[in-house]
Amino acid sequence: MEKKSTKKILIGAVILVALIAVFALCYNKFAAKGTAGAKAIVIEVVDENGNSTKYDVNTDAEYLKGAMDELAESDDSFSFSGQEGDYGLMVEVINGEQAIYAEDNAYWALYVNGEYGNYGVTEQPVVDGDTYTWTYESAE
Amino acid sequence: MCDNSSRFSTRDIAMIGLMIAVIEVCKAVLSFLPNVELTTFWLIMFTLYFGRKVMAVVPAFILVEGAIYGMNTWWIMYLYIWPLLVLVTWIFRKEESALFWAIFSGIFGLCFGMLCSITYFFIGFSSGGITAGFNTAFPWWISGIMWDIVHCVGNFIFMLVLYTPIRNVMKRFL
Repeated sequence: MEKKSTKKILIGAVILVALIAVFALCYNKFAAKGTAGAKAIVIEVVDENGNSTKYDVNTDAEYLKGAMDELAESDDSFSFSGQEGDYGLMVEVINGEQAIYAEDNAYWALYVNGEYGNYGVTEQPVVDGDTYTWTYESAE
Repeated sequence: MCDNSSRFSTRDIAMIGLMIAVIEVCKAVLSFLPNVELTTFWLIMFTLYFGRKVMAVVPAFILVEGAIYGMNTWWIMYLYIWPLLVLVTWIFRKEESALFWAIFSGIFGLCFGMLCSITYFFIGFSSGGITAGFNTAFPWWISGIMWDIVHCVGNFIFMLVLYTPIRNVMKRFL
């Protein structure tokens, strides 16, 4: 009786382990995976000395801030911060470099495909293929 | 180990009410943990100790569930999943090892999503045949596998820990 019971436990344990393995394999093979963002953009940072760093970003974000948040999360070499204001986020620090007009007599200017941007980071729409350039600009 | 007399006494009816109450209270207490439940544990224990009379518990329990939470697709799944658990438990009713029942509960928890997906197969089947049924059921099952594994682990641990103490209490009072 004892032997029979042990045999059943062993068979049961083998079935359980085998099922977990098969289910885990099925999950890995067939589960819906998140796809890379559909829009491919470039975020470029030009620092005080004119050195440029480019980041290729795949994103589904609607606005530039969302894409920059994703980039900051996935790439330690990129960071940004600023002050929230009436027109969304006012970017003050990028990659550790501060450009606050009142303190540094400089600001971070946003260019979209080389043209001066019309929107702030919170309102700038993200369009596939576009390049968004943050340039450190000293006030004349 | 189980009581197999076919007639229901007043005591049996009261016990059936208590069994459902125990299941529902445990369900409510654990409702904040997704896919962690004691319904499997209790239905197995009740089948082992109340024998065929548990067949009155299952439909009553399913009706109470439907009355509390509303009847939807999940309720259709309950109509065959819990009776199936009771039936298979009945087949292995002579087993007394905590480890055996822990493994049994674990397998049941693991297969829960797959068993539920049968309902979705028929929903898909009704609109587009076997392929549509498969395309409805399979992704639904796959997307929930991680939760089925949680269910499996929860069932396994609950049974392993609770089987012996609850069995001792039931043996003393029943």
